Amino acid sequence: MRKFVLFSVAFGLSFPSESYSFTKKEGTLKSDNLTNVLLSSSAKSAIQNTVQGTVTDGKGPVSEVSVSVVGGNASTKTDAQGHFKITAAVGSKLRFSSVGYVTREVPVTSNLLNVTLVGDQQTLDEVVVTALGIERSKKNLTYSVQKVTGDDLRKSNQGNIVNALQGQVAGAQISSSGGSPGLPSEIILRGSTSLSGDNQPLMIIDGIRVSNASINGSVNRLADFNPDDIEDISILKGAAAAALYGIDAASGAIVITTKKGKAGVMQINAGYKAFVETMGRLPRQQNIYTTGTGGTYSQATTSSWGRKFRSDEAIYDNLERFFQTGVTHDAVFNVNGGADKFNYYMSGNYRNQGSMIPNTDNDKFSYLIKGTAKLLSNLELTASANYIKNNLKEGLVGGSSGGWINSILRYPLAYDILDYQYENGDPHYAYFETGKENEAIISPMWSVMNNPRFNNTERTVINGNLVYKPLNWINLNYRIGQDYFNQSYKYAVKPGTPGENYTGYISQSNGNYKNFTQMLNATFDRKFLEDFRTTLLLGGTEEYYEAKSIAQSGTGFLNPDLVSINNIDPTVLKTTESNPRRRRYALYGDFRLEYRNLLTLGITGRNDWTSTLSEENRQFFSPSYSGSFTYSELFENKNDWYGKLRVSYAKVGKDAPIYATNTNLIQNPGLGGGFIINSTGGNPYLKPERTTEFEIGTELRMLKNRLSVDFAYYNKKSIDQIITARVPLPTGYVIQTFNAGSLRNKGIEVSVSGSPVKKENFEWKSTVNAWKNNSKMLEFPGQITTFPYTNAQLSAGKAASVLGEPVLGIVGTDYKRTEEGYVIVGEDGLPVIESGETYIGNREPEFNIGWINNFRYKSFSLSFLWDFRFGGDILNASRQQMMSSGIAYDIGEWRDKEFVFDGVVEQADGSYVKNAKSVTLDYNYFVNNYAAVGTNFIEKVNWARLRYVTLSYNLPKAFTNRYKLGNVALEFSAQNPLIFTNYSGGDPEVNSAGPNAGGTGASTMGVDYGAIPLPKSYSFGINFTF
Amino acid sequence: MLLVTSAFAACSDKLDINTNPVQPVTTSSNLRLPGVLGNMAYHLYSHARFSVYHSYYFTNRLGSTRAIEDTWNYNSITRMGAWRWHYYDVGSNVNGLIERAIEEGSTNYLGVAKIMLAFSYLTATDSFGDMPFTEAYSGSYYPKYDTQETIYAGIANLLDEGVAALDQESNKSLVMNSASDLVYAGDLQKWKAFAFAVKSRMLLHTANFTNNYDAVISNVNIALSNFDDAMIKYPESSSDLWEKNLWGETAAQPEWQFADIKNISANSLPTDFLMNALTIDAVAGKYDPRLYALTTPGENKKYLGAKESEGLSDLNLPTGTTYKDFATLTGGFWTADKSPYPFILKEELYFIKAEAEFYKGNATAAFEAWKQGVKINFSRLGIADGESLNYLSSSKVPQDAGELKISDIMMQKWLALYLQSETWVDMRRYNYSATAYPGVYYPKNALKEWGGRNIQRFPYDPQTEYVYNPQEIARLGATARDWCFNPVWWAEKSTLK
Repeated sequence: MRKFVLFSVAFGLSFPSESYSFTKKEGTLKSDNLTNVLLSSSAKSAIQNTVQGTVTDGKGPVSEVSVSVVGGNASTKTDAQGHFKITAAVGSKLRFSSVGYVTREVPVTSNLLNVTLVGDQQTLDEVVVTALGIERSKKNLTYSVQKVTGDDLRKSNQGNIVNALQGQVAGAQISSSGGSPGLPSEIILRGSTSLSGDNQPLMIIDGIRVSNASINGSVNRLADFNPDDIEDISILKGAAAAALYGIDAASGAIVITTKKGKAGVMQINAGYKAFVETMGRLPRQQNIYTTGTGGTYSQATTSSWGRKFRSDEAIYDNLERFFQTGVTHDAVFNVNGGADKFNYYMSGNYRNQGSMIPNTDNDKFSYLIKGTAKLLSNLELTASANYIKNNLKEGLVGGSSGGWINSILRYPLAYDILDYQYENGDPHYAYFETGKENEAIISPMWSVMNNPRFNNTERTVINGNLVYKPLNWINLNYRIGQDYFNQSYKYAVKPGTPGENYTGYISQSNGNYKNFTQMLNATFDRKFLEDFRTTLLLGGTEEYYEAKSIAQSGTGFLNPDLVSINNIDPTVLKTTESNPRRRRYALYGDFRLEYRNLLTLGITGRNDWTSTLSEENRQFFSPSYSGSFTYSELFENKNDWYGKLRVSYAKVGKDAPIYATNTNLIQNPGLGGGFIINSTGGNPYLKPERTTEFEIGTELRMLKNRLSVDFAYYNKKSIDQIITARVPLPTGYVIQTFNAGSLRNKGIEVSVSGSPVKKENFEWKSTVNAWKNNSKMLEFPGQITTFPYTNAQLSAGKAASVLGEPVLGIVGTDYKRTEEGYVIVGEDGLPVIESGETYIGNREPEFNIGWINNFRYKSFSLSFLWDFRFGGDILNASRQQMMSSGIAYDIGEWRDKEFVFDGVVEQADGSYVKNAKSVTLDYNYFVNNYAAVGTNFIEKVNWARLRYVTLSYNLPKAFTNRYKLGNVALEFSAQNPLIFTNYSGGDPEVNSAGPNAGGTGASTMGVDYGAIPLPKSYSFGINFTF
Repeated sequence: MLLVTSAFAACSDKLDINTNPVQPVTTSSNLRLPGVLGNMAYHLYSHARFSVYHSYYFTNRLGSTRAIEDTWNYNSITRMGAWRWHYYDVGSNVNGLIERAIEEGSTNYLGVAKIMLAFSYLTATDSFGDMPFTEAYSGSYYPKYDTQETIYAGIANLLDEGVAALDQESNKSLVMNSASDLVYAGDLQKWKAFAFAVKSRMLLHTANFTNNYDAVISNVNIALSNFDDAMIKYPESSSDLWEKNLWGETAAQPEWQFADIKNISANSLPTDFLMNALTIDAVAGKYDPRLYALTTPGENKKYLGAKESEGLSDLNLPTGTTYKDFATLTGGFWTADKSPYPFILKEELYFIKAEAEFYKGNATAAFEAWKQGVKINFSRLGIADGESLNYLSSSKVPQDAGELKISDIMMQKWLALYLQSETWVDMRRYNYSATAYPGVYYPKNALKEWGGRNIQRFPYDPQTEYVYNPQEIARLGATARDWCFNPVWWAEKSTLK
């Protein structure tokens, strides 16, 4: 993570900036104008000299520039003529910094050192990667694109790139589905556009589409990639920014650029980090009552509705006992270098991630090689290959709705959770009835230790890119790439495990997944009439996706010790094959007209053809119109500030899931065999889903660029949503895909960054990302007014969308109330439950803030990110379940107490009087009344969370030189160490079923159904650069 | 550009890849019938799974005050399995079979398909009442709900069409044999008799208020002339969960959709109502021999009965009573993994006949039919003739036509149709009256809010019908918390209450 860019600078090799515009970095040190610095063979001798010279900015001398020896103590400032004089050794480096200029570090090669500083203004020429990998000057951009640099990403120390983006992007709602390495995280840009299916943005790495699916409920596949390889990430949030992705752009796009080799002497970078993780916030349990039902003691149940614990009975703090301390090792290694015509980058990463969950770990290895060759002066070839192995073992296995730690949360405290097995490996049941061992009660630890789930992936991403510039205004770019992976899944249940699979069970699958992309772009870039510049891009692309997988499952191991398909009676072995395929073609164009730096107009159009829709509906056209107006250009002092207004409108789409247009038969697994109709029915009338978005925004930079503000407002509407959901059974199907309804998301995004302090030895940079999204369900098909999501349902409350309400809603039961809102209490003294369900919560946060801070003091740097969330309801289904089973904390506080409910009792004449009847809060009340009311489990949640804090220190040169080391950096970091929240449960970042789980999209964000709370972790790292 | 242009020339073909290469779209009738018949057994079970608690065979062991089986509170269910088993698992496959059978000219499969659809509709509507019928399978997400009366007419029609198709046996028909016909191995005469049996069952439900016992008798007589038990037979032994009776010891749950209808009989106890019915002499410890066939002995070889909805929480049970003091509900004749699953049994036809003749005033015919029903039931359960004769001569049962009471017919039918949801139909026709079911009582843990009313129907599937078809649901009044306490049409009209 250190800036080894330094080294190419240090060795003084330079190259023309035009050919490396991809690599132009914000605020990093460039050697563009360093032509006056030459490397001499004596550079490394450590003789102290008086070095002097002049600092200019190309126009004239610059005064008050801080000059200091890197890693040393000496420092000075330039005088009015830009002169300085300082004592430094040849081979050491001098740092030149001044407000309004990019800080530079220049190696001392002789006694004379003339330095040219580049104004910060130049950072406005920052290049960002936009759709299809097109690089554009941020200055003239007509829509909002937020860029996250690889360095910022890595400071969070997250193995999963999606998690690393938390708080860094205004408008990105990221939620991990729990604190286990195998659980997926979900990212949604500007609100969810589809009620079902994947709401996540398109993921592009170096121009080709890569899979971010979470297959078999496993981790989202973007987690395979090594964060260390990332140069930067562009987040194309709006439809206009992503319009060139057409039918794939409805949820935005995340465009990742990986590092590439830099010409110069070979650099080697190696680092190691160790992490220790422990459990974060957990829900609370009562420890007063033991097992039983209905208030009566019984051992035959896992409910905790028994009598009070006797003083001689042991009470086990099972939550505390279950979770452990996990240790993670992470080693990275990379080499890069090259010469004028050739450069290379090679990296490796090995990560062995432990977990606070027993018997859970993640073993990941990745290896990337990438090379660029200039075959001719106008022909350049880049090729890369990335091999990844990502093996996951998960002790906790959830269902399609989540529920990962439900069994742990509800396991009675009368039993020791660690007592699950005899020394010979036989199960130790906490309670069983002879002959009914399959119904026995056993510690959930048994399954964690004996029935883990394995998800092993091997992945290869290859990418080739040929750039040909026949004329200086024509650029032809051909790209071909493929993301290919094999994922094997194995889940076995050891014989003796109570439940359905008492005799043993195995389920395994093996799938090969392929995303192939090829694309040809031609760009024409001309200036005319002096003040005008036009750019035209024409191109086409083909995408092909295919997966082939075979799954097998069977019950009953013949030999209890062997976990293998071979050990299952062949006549009961079920085998299924699947082979989804999708092909898309597209032709597109992008036309831009720029007038000076003042006005830019852009029009894009893309026509897609997709195989997933019928011939009548398979074409889809996505236009976008955008413009920017740099109003600061109209002012005299235009060089001191920058102001731009941008407006855009675009229409993009989404195609249907594969094979959703027809109904198939599947093998009848039951008696007699043959075929039965698939529960998922086809729909030949499917059309593409459409999203239109209007965006307006402004960018401001002032105070000599020390403060910059980016503001965006968007209003997007999604029409003809493609929903895959349970449908009324009288259709003859259980599930069907259909076009239905429309919804709207609108919101604001503000990103403010600045350098409040910028001194020679001390620098503070701070960025605040703030955003708010408001969604509304505008229209449903047919007569639907409430649409619950199938994977997030409890009888009391469920995730749902309700007509006219925010899309990520919760519906459920409430108490019966008078018109004034008083709870109506029945004659029995208990509150009355209203029939039917109503809208009772909004899972979307009201406001989000990510606050990133980077401090540098001499060789120390400190970074931290605070994440604030205001509002947004959580459906605390974990508490509801714990309430029903009598183990919730509140039960201990209130059970069997006398209580008079605050409410009114209806009289025969229709009037109301205040309730005065005292009732006992018994089992019946909690289970049939309290736990049956959804509103009791809705919590409006706020949090202030320290996502990460990272302190790093560069060892003094004097020290490292002595051991012939280059740069050595030490790092101490903590992830998720602090959280302040009003949430009563565990960690409030919840998304029970995760993305893609059962095809439910954003449906479980904000649903806490046995979610594994996020861990706290602490790390130490060391990094060497040679 | 060349590449893109050439790609586009071929693109239209290359885009035609949206048909699944590894799954068929259609297949011949003989490969579709097994799925229909196997699923019908699951469909029947999906009703019986709950009705055994409503008709008081079983009660929950713990008398838990949150279990549906005890409280009759269906307001907190996520899904209603039976709804799916009818419309999708049976209905949708029948439709596919009908379509294919017509194409093939397989009138044999066509006839059986129509009869199965009729039987499935009858099973469903008896629990649900009004349902989509005329607009079912039309593609509409909010079909009209037809009245039960309309559905009954539709069922009669389907049965007639089914029989007509069977009569039309053509030489184009694909072979139907034991590989495809799991019930009658392709014997179409038996299928015709089955159609009449379904019709008799249906006609009996309404005969009391339509005064149509004659039709019941004539149909049941036609049925009996050729009838053989309609059952799905599971293998003697199989490690495949799909090849087990769902009532069996394994409590098989072959796939996730079975979770809603999980067999919880291991955590249930026989009710005192059941034990009383099977006790000949309590003091002497003399039981109806069928007790030992229907259940297996508990660990303590005792035969206590649990109070409905109370289970072990009943304070009147002897101190120290555990589940071991009751008969075990699994492993019996109908409740083992290998047990057959009955569609319609021959003894039911005799009890139908007995009831119809009873109300026609033909006491002798009624008594004879009644006796036939009991005898067949005994012999089916493997009880020696001597024992059945002993039973028939005991004071437990009437000795001649003059002694025959309606309760004799209904209680014997209730025992013979052990666990079948048809007995819940009977109980509702009589509105749980003690005249037909002596000793029946209202369970203590039924929620107070039901106001002392008995459970009358299942709710519609909350996850779909309440979402997609809110207007019809509201029109019917099915949003009310006590919807399940409104009698279905034939129960409402019943004169037997």
